Amino acid sequence: MNGCEDKTASIERWLDGELSGAESESLRAHLAACAECSEARRRLEKLQSALTGVLLAEAQRVDFAPFRRAVQLRVNEKRPWHQEALDWMHDAFPVSRAAWVVPALIVLLLAVVSLESYLPGWRGAGRNAFATVDSIDAYGRNVALLREYDTKTTVIWLYQDQEGENEGAEETAPAGPAF
Amino acid sequence: MELTDRELVQQCQAGEMSAFQELVSRYQQKVYMVILGLLHNREDALEVAQETFFRAYRKISGFQGGSSFYTWLYRIAVNLAIDAQRRQKRNPLDFRETMDDLLESQDEAARDPFADLHDKELREKLISAINDLTPEHKAVIVLRTIEGLSYKDIGEIVGCSEGTVMSRLHYARKKLQDKLSAFL
Amino acid sequence: MKVLKKLPLRVLLFSLLAMLAVAVTVTAQKQPQNFEVRIGAILASNQSDEFDARLKGLEKQLRVLKYRSYRLLTDKSENIPWKGSKVFEIPGGRSLMVAPQEFQDNRIGLQVRLTEGQKPLLDTTVRIANKGNFILGGPPHEGGVLVLSISAAVQ
Repeated sequence: MNGCEDKTASIERWLDGELSGAESESLRAHLAACAECSEARRRLEKLQSALTGVLLAEAQRVDFAPFRRAVQLRVNEKRPWHQEALDWMHDAFPVSRAAWVVPALIVLLLAVVSLESYLPGWRGAGRNAFATVDSIDAYGRNVALLREYDTKTTVIWLYQDQEGENEGAEETAPAGPAF
Repeated sequence: MELTDRELVQQCQAGEMSAFQELVSRYQQKVYMVILGLLHNREDALEVAQETFFRAYRKISGFQGGSSFYTWLYRIAVNLAIDAQRRQKRNPLDFRETMDDLLESQDEAARDPFADLHDKELREKLISAINDLTPEHKAVIVLRTIEGLSYKDIGEIVGCSEGTVMSRLHYARKKLQDKLSAFL
Repeated sequence: MKVLKKLPLRVLLFSLLAMLAVAVTVTAQKQPQNFEVRIGAILASNQSDEFDARLKGLEKQLRVLKYRSYRLLTDKSENIPWKGSKVFEIPGGRSLMVAPQEFQDNRIGLQVRLTEGQKPLLDTTVRIANKGNFILGGPPHEGGVLVLSISAAVQ
């Protein structure tokens, strides 16, 4: 082989009118001198002719007058509302776009659900910002539980033993915070 | 003086039905041939061709002239034909049988440039070989064959680059030649 | 159009991989190995109007208690393994035992016991937001009261 295998693509492009002037001239000169490439060109042209012949022959059999009337009838026809809605959806969401919607939604849903794992507290201070007290045992002492909503603060306050373990302290500090 | 496609489209957008009918007349055969090349069934091809023009009429108010009218129209046709091909339940051999019927008639023999048995077999093999191509390859080879469209226009219609059009055409032609080598 | 045919499969595969990745990560997050627990011991009193600058981050919370003065006494931080426990020494001869019990919905369950010498003062189980805190206060100390800020974060 004399390295003409790559020429087939060029011959196709030439027959399709996609080569520049200079490229066409160069190829023409090559075709004049190369029997193999000339044969390739002949086969391509025959294939093209056969393809055109098959389809053109069939198309010429068709009487397009009824075709045009049928198109006109469809254009004039009042379509039911649900058909209009389906057509709109089909135009707005062609298959290629729709194919992405379901998996995109799945990924989005999972991302939102798992976002807390990656960005804890991303939702900001909300109901969950408060500490919740599940159980408390002050061993007989008075205890108060406070929730302050502006700062989302939970306070467990243990009051002093009333029997006065810390009598000195009582003189200088109030018994508890001024909630 | 014949109006250009652009002028007809503008008249159609203004509500002139006669302009739309002129566009149908202008492109009916070509659209049918493109679709027939993809579906290989006459009835389905006619139905899809009608649907193509109907969709074009519905969408014409949104056509802004970014592409030429015919590439826009063929894009609708190709997309509908590919959708129909997926739904196609009929045996594609129906087309071959239809062609055989046509070829048997004397009128056909008289007009048919491939009247001898060798060429009849070539056409049968050709139809079968085209059917074996994927829809993407069929689309580019049919558009190039029937319309002589540029790679750029074909790319706009089927939604791919010129390079992809070129490689698909090359592949399709190679496949067809391989299957039809005895006849070419 | 071959691309179109492949597209949903690619997208489906991508989605499955993403789901797998998320599931693995979320599962991993659900079983933390360690918690960082931080105890700030603060003296709150009305003896002055001093506010310790080191307590700036807790100022809004501490002002809830309505004392005039706040001073940081100790600030300790320890890593505690899940289901483990740690005892923090607190000013005034007291100690605070903290044991992380659970981690769910990004909240840490803590068992907390405040003792004075050998005497238990308070037992409580609290659930706080990851990186959140609660205030435990009241025991008298040096003319004021002892206030503890107890915070925890998943490691």
